[in-house]
Amino acid sequence: MEEERGAAARDATVLDGNAIAALLGEIFGGSEMTSATRGCGSCGQSHPIGEHRLYRGAGLVLRCPGCGDVALVVVERGGEAVREVQLLGRWQVAVG
Amino acid sequence: MATPGAPLVAPVPLVWRLVTVVEVVDETPHARTLALDVPDWPGHVAGQHLDVRLTAEDGYVAERSYSIASAPEDARVALTVERIDDGEVSPYLAGELVVGDQFEVRGPVGGHFTWRAQDGGPLLLVAGGSGLVPLMAMVRHRAARASGAATELLVSSREREAVLYRDELERLASAEDGLNVVYTLTRSRPAGWSGYARRVDAPMLAEVGPAASASPRVFVCGPTPFVEAVADALVSLGHAAENVHTERFGPTGG
Amino acid sequence: MPPFSRGFHRRPPREDVDPSRVPPGQYVVNDFPVLSAGPTPRPKLDEWSFSVQGAVDGAASWTWEELNALPQETFTVDIHCVTKWTKLGTTWTGVSVDTLMDGVATEAEYVSVWADGGYTTNVPLEDLRDGKAWVVHTFDGEPLEPAHGGPARLLVPHLYFWKSAKWVRGLTLTVEDEPGFWENAGYNNYGDPWREQRYWGD
Repeated sequence: MEEERGAAARDATVLDGNAIAALLGEIFGGSEMTSATRGCGSCGQSHPIGEHRLYRGAGLVLRCPGCGDVALVVVERGGEAVREVQLLGRWQVAVG
Repeated sequence: MATPGAPLVAPVPLVWRLVTVVEVVDETPHARTLALDVPDWPGHVAGQHLDVRLTAEDGYVAERSYSIASAPEDARVALTVERIDDGEVSPYLAGELVVGDQFEVRGPVGGHFTWRAQDGGPLLLVAGGSGLVPLMAMVRHRAARASGAATELLVSSREREAVLYRDELERLASAEDGLNVVYTLTRSRPAGWSGYARRVDAPMLAEVGPAASASPRVFVCGPTPFVEAVADALVSLGHAAENVHTERFGPTGG
Repeated sequence: MPPFSRGFHRRPPREDVDPSRVPPGQYVVNDFPVLSAGPTPRPKLDEWSFSVQGAVDGAASWTWEELNALPQETFTVDIHCVTKWTKLGTTWTGVSVDTLMDGVATEAEYVSVWADGGYTTNVPLEDLRDGKAWVVHTFDGEPLEPAHGGPARLLVPHLYFWKSAKWVRGLTLTVEDEPGFWENAGYNNYGDPWREQRYWGD
């Protein structure tokens, strides 16, 4: 935990899940996802999506704030009506 | 207007709306506030942001997120944009735009970094630079609803001239209704400055309070290194991680 | 097309560049953007090593000191990121993959490149040989910054830059092609910028 926080502190470009609220809304059919929680399959902790760490590489990578495990990978195919999405862990999505 | 008592987990409005700039206010030499006329605005919760989409005549498109500065109760939706000199979008929004110009927005979005008066206090709001914007929406909402929730707002800025909303904060704090505003100036200070003059650290957060034992709702917004340092300091003071809400912004092309 | 915003333009492209050096869909930058799929690792150099392993006879490994004692090459190349920026004339120093593969016998045709932090990317072996790829530790005469992949990154300048794994620690030779992190996520398996192979199916 401390190591992961320390690592994030040195990465000035890391953002958090709040920054992709609209994108997550699109992926999850309009649900507000930053206040949803995700149980990490790696460290077992649960954290709000808004507190997950967001990295921008070739695509977007959302990671568990506890252990750094990958939660979401999104690749936008520029100009096309398709995006590639990988979801990992247990996402608790509000219904109704 | 947001409906009081509406569920926090409202559907995300995903349509792009064409908005018109109705007022431009220079806040500091580097930042200005854009008041917008948004057709069919669904209302927002303090702390939420908007996605902004600009389209050039040749079809080039740029998207950025900006926090909403206005309270849900305010007549106009307002964004405050700080100009990043080598950026692409912020020099346009904070420089080129004039009243009557149009661009597109989508939102409001975000439900995690939000506060509503009925959520209650105490509140600890910690702002780094233009990270003050979504926290200002909370402070304005608190005033509009006469919430009286005990609120400490700690604002970290390079210099006094770079502090957003200075006069309004002074006015709000002078009401003595439970809002206290504390500044720390990290680069230069006016003559006779008696306030903090260093980066936010654990001793400063402990002095400003409220103590972790009071279980305040804590909202921290600023550049990523600022947020990481403040969040670590808060945890070291015993604040429960689930009470600490963070929002980072970074050099994403401005 | 959405309504345009009066007076908004993309950043003007640099006008002093040779267009034949800019692949389709790319624009030239002066700065060096930092992109990353995860946190920046900070390995201790006395615990660092670089390995060539997998489907090989004579797996090999070098410590930081040993890698720096190998023959070094300094060269200048253009780099192309799939997010559309191109940086011209970047100068690097490091060890050619040819040098690292000296004395390593293999029938494998593919390489899984792996790095600190768990990142992987796949490259055909022939794209790493014959002076086409290096393990570099120096950029513009200075030690490579951690944000840009230091202490050492792979450099495969003829492919999109995600193939040039930051924080590289080894090459695993494989008989079957094994898609890496971004290749699994939807980016092109090969990634030739001149054929604009950005995504699956390009």
